[in-house]
Amino acid sequence: MVRFKHRYLLCEVVSDDPRCRLSLEDRVLGGLVRDTIARVHGTFGAAACSIGFAVRYLNAYTGIVLLRCRKEFYRLVWSALPFITYLENKGHHYPCFLNTLHVGGTIRTCQKFLIQYNRRQLLILLQNCTDEGEREAIQKSVTRSCLLEESSAGEELSDSGGEEAAEAME
Amino acid sequence: MSNAKERKHAKKMRNQPTNVTLSSGFVADSGVKYHNGGRKPFQSQKGKPHSGTSRQRQTKTSHHSLAESDAKEQSSSRVTFKKKGGWKAGPEGTSQEIPKYITASTFAQARAAEISAMLKAVAQKSSNSLVFQTLPRHMRRRAMSHNVKRLPRRLQEIAQKEAEKAVHQKKEHSKNKCHKARRCHINRMLEFNRRQKKNKWLETHIWHAKRFHMVKRWGYCLGERPTVKSHRACYRAMTSRCLLQDLSYYCCLELKGKEEEILKALSPMCSIDTGLTFAAVHCLSGKRQGSLMLYRANKYPREMLGPVTFIWKAERTPGDTSESRQLWIWLHPSLKQDILEEIKAVCQCMEPTKSTVCLPDPLLTPSQEKSQTDLPTEKIGKKRKWKDDEENAKPIKKVIGDGTRDPLQPYSWISPTTGIVISDLTMEMNRFRLIGPLSHSILTEALKAASVHTEGEDTEKTPHCWWIETCRNPDSVSLHHRQETVFELLGGITSPAEIPAGTILGLTVGDPRINLPQKRSKVLPNPEKCQDNEKVRQLLLEGVPVECSHSFLWNQDICKSVTENKISDQDLNRKRSELLVPGSQLFLGPHESKVPILLIQQPGKVTGDDQRGWGSGWDVLLPKGWGMAFWIPFIYRGARVGGLKETVVHSQYKRSPNVPGDFPDCPAGILFAEEQAKNLIEKYKRRPPAKRPNYVKLGTLAPFCCPWEQLTLDWESRVQAEGESSAASSPGGEESSLRREVVPRAPVPGRARQLPDDEGTPLNGSSEPKGVMDADGPARAGTEGVVGQGATSSLLCVLRSRKLLRQLSAWCGPSSGNSRAAPRAPGTGQQELSREACLSILDRFPKALVWVRLSLLRKGSPEPHTMICVPAEEDLLQLSQDRLYCGPQEPKHSDPFKSQIRKQKKKKLEKRRKRGCAASEGLAEGDPAAGHQPLTLGLWSGPLPVVTSHCSRVLLGFVTQGDFSMAVGCGEALGFVSLTGLLDMLSSQPGVERGLVLLRPPASLQYRFARIVIEV
Repeated sequence: MVRFKHRYLLCEVVSDDPRCRLSLEDRVLGGLVRDTIARVHGTFGAAACSIGFAVRYLNAYTGIVLLRCRKEFYRLVWSALPFITYLENKGHHYPCFLNTLHVGGTIRTCQKFLIQYNRRQLLILLQNCTDEGEREAIQKSVTRSCLLEESSAGEELSDSGGEEAAEAME
Repeated sequence: MSNAKERKHAKKMRNQPTNVTLSSGFVADSGVKYHNGGRKPFQSQKGKPHSGTSRQRQTKTSHHSLAESDAKEQSSSRVTFKKKGGWKAGPEGTSQEIPKYITASTFAQARAAEISAMLKAVAQKSSNSLVFQTLPRHMRRRAMSHNVKRLPRRLQEIAQKEAEKAVHQKKEHSKNKCHKARRCHINRMLEFNRRQKKNKWLETHIWHAKRFHMVKRWGYCLGERPTVKSHRACYRAMTSRCLLQDLSYYCCLELKGKEEEILKALSPMCSIDTGLTFAAVHCLSGKRQGSLMLYRANKYPREMLGPVTFIWKAERTPGDTSESRQLWIWLHPSLKQDILEEIKAVCQCMEPTKSTVCLPDPLLTPSQEKSQTDLPTEKIGKKRKWKDDEENAKPIKKVIGDGTRDPLQPYSWISPTTGIVISDLTMEMNRFRLIGPLSHSILTEALKAASVHTEGEDTEKTPHCWWIETCRNPDSVSLHHRQETVFELLGGITSPAEIPAGTILGLTVGDPRINLPQKRSKVLPNPEKCQDNEKVRQLLLEGVPVECSHSFLWNQDICKSVTENKISDQDLNRKRSELLVPGSQLFLGPHESKVPILLIQQPGKVTGDDQRGWGSGWDVLLPKGWGMAFWIPFIYRGARVGGLKETVVHSQYKRSPNVPGDFPDCPAGILFAEEQAKNLIEKYKRRPPAKRPNYVKLGTLAPFCCPWEQLTLDWESRVQAEGESSAASSPGGEESSLRREVVPRAPVPGRARQLPDDEGTPLNGSSEPKGVMDADGPARAGTEGVVGQGATSSLLCVLRSRKLLRQLSAWCGPSSGNSRAAPRAPGTGQQELSREACLSILDRFPKALVWVRLSLLRKGSPEPHTMICVPAEEDLLQLSQDRLYCGPQEPKHSDPFKSQIRKQKKKKLEKRRKRGCAASEGLAEGDPAAGHQPLTLGLWSGPLPVVTSHCSRVLLGFVTQGDFSMAVGCGEALGFVSLTGLLDMLSSQPGVERGLVLLRPPASLQYRFARIVIEV
């Protein structure tokens, strides 16, 4: 198919400061990444990465961020990410860093990876949990997600062909 | 930008997770307790039973104090787990009192929510594409789009669901048979029979359908034009070779009865004024074909029904001594309904004839005979039986003749008083038309007269007993030989035009398939055949002798037997293949079919001075069922086939009006014009407004139809207005009885007499009559007015009186004392173009149109609906000074509807639309209708204003056929002009320039000079 090929960087915003999460917005984050690229790769880098660059998904609760950029220059973006050390919003500086979880060609693969990743996280959490109440709560959410998966498993299976569609969509 | 695009995007994204931020919740945070910060993907959790956790989640978004309580609850756990600097649950936000712990459950909650959101996004197809389109290329298979089983099994279920959706469903396949079965002969025949139930098929339908653009018209499927590019080739064929047309769709009405009765009945329908009638000597003897115009009984010159041709069966034929005569009236299918009704009325043939011979179906007992009586005259009844047999016994027989006939409908009517029997012979015969000089050669090549049956031959098995019977009679044999010699003589004549117009020649020919050439070739005229000069000369002088016009085609029984006993192509080919020497001549002997045919000479161009006889040819009448058997041999001799378009071209070059388009005064013509206008408007509306001419700006009021009624009315009132002052009220003379019947409109009386006088009114400087004639205008005034008042809506008529047309054509010439026209003017000699003469004509024919030919002086190629206008004085002046002067230009008009349309576009509400209309009322001459119907940009909406004076030159008429003429080498047009206007114009023009008009196509501003010619 004739289309622009993209790369999607699935990242996790890690910050000690909980307030950081408050100021986590797509515009803020996008600006931040752009600035960093400009700082690290200069004007050329900024220009090259600005085409098609976008924050496609952001979850302030889990700190998951999905960045999109053109396939040709995703290395520039990728290499710039470690240089982000703080999130700036309304004059406040919140120290944080970005942890790249996955690099994918479609949103869909990133989403799939994220499912796997989160599930793993939950299991780890469950294993390490000591408190009864906590444990119960975690158990609940784990089972819920598993149930969800079950219910949609058939669908997901049967629809994995839809990948291509999602790809074409981008 | 567009709504649709947004919607599409939304649809695409409906399953995708949205961004989740805290900020929105945070901003509103101050007082609100529970605020779910726009976490759409999480909302589903809200209603879930474990309220505790969900509350936690909400807490952290909103109020820390509440969250704190929760946190306390969970504090015991004090999860130290920290995942990569993970995420501390709790009431972070702005507050300084950030708890130093995280709750695992919250953490888990958020993760679980995200998982579900992602799952949703991953699992559901959100694009508009079909399932199989989502597969990667290498996994796609050929029939996937319609065969679910070709898909991977995991996708089959979805694909099934998709296929059931109505949108993707294809038309139901009615064909339950495989291709091979469908192609099998019997099934194909069934299918063909089914398909011709609705629209009649000609016998050459399949042949045409492969090579022509087919249209459904007048209840038939007809070839409109060849799919190959052939406009010029067809013209060449008509001029120098041979063009073949299948005119089997023409309808034939048969009248049988005593000669006097038929003539008496039909005489009110035609007028001697328009030419010869049914009683013309040559025609009555059966020697010639006649053609005439039919009117409603006693309604001449109004209520025209249409042009017809007719042939009488020759009077004294061997074996036919009865007094009864047979008359065939051939007419166009669009005219059939009206004419048949009228003929039935004048002959008083209202009751369908009762079948005397054979009831086709025992079920149809006398109780039904009223409705069913169709089987009527002997022969028809038999035919019906034959057809029914065909349907009952062997249902898969080919439909021959009219497939749409309703067996319960009568096709024959008898009159109890006059004894005339009218039967409808439509589709009972084939009619092929050969046009062009080579048609003789083709006919003589393709058809061979039937061999006379000799006694010695074995006669038992042949089905052609009628021919054997005939051959026993020496008279018939000698007649057959005479016909044969005449037919052979035809081959030596260079053009059909040399033979007297309408000559009829009967003939019995052998099966034309027998001597079919191996390959398609072109015949050449054979001048050596002309050795018999004396005989040829005699033939040309006297025409075909009367007795030779006899044909067995008139006898329905023989026709039926000929149709039934036709050898099928298959049998013929098999016999041919069984020949000992392959490729040698097949000889069937007495088994060969003998086909009675009629050849009728068609006169080509009969009017005008140049190219007389152009487009002449022969019509071949065949019994039904034999169409293809004759069609292919003709084509193998080099005839080119034309369709409906070629018919139009033919009539255009013949300068004769085309049926039914050029008969604005007959119902079929009006219907045709309406349909044409509808089609043209539809076509026009399909183009974007910027890419189509704005006819309002071009000053074209009616680009798609010709408002004849209004044109004639406008001219009447216009001429009346011109002479208003002079024509006060003076007791009028007497008007002809005709006039009274005809019922002119109220303003008529005034109109006629003013025409000449009144120099003053400068209407665009165009039509001020000269001082040539004056006074006496008020001659007969009032009385007609009174008559006119009581009139019903008067109808327009077309001037067809030959005498008047001759008069007019003489006047149209460049100078009034035209020597050329003088000898033709009957009796009285050349009449001066005077006021009295005009008046008398106009009195007889108010609201009349005249068929004119227009030849352009210089450039320009007219098209249909071109306007014919009266040139202004300065135009003529300029033309006389500068011979190369092209013509004036029409100034651009303003478009009063444009603002309305814009308004309509903006405000869709009815109320506002009305307001817009009211506003424009001042601009356009009040069109209340405009507000109610949607306006089209570039078309005049609402009732037309005065058509004559809308443009700078006064409108005289419209062109109905026009094109570049390949015969003359310049543009040529045929059309109608208002008689009133024409006389007005002629009388105002000086002698030298008389007859000059301006032509302007609907999509142009340029006027071109043309000369008006009336050909009689």
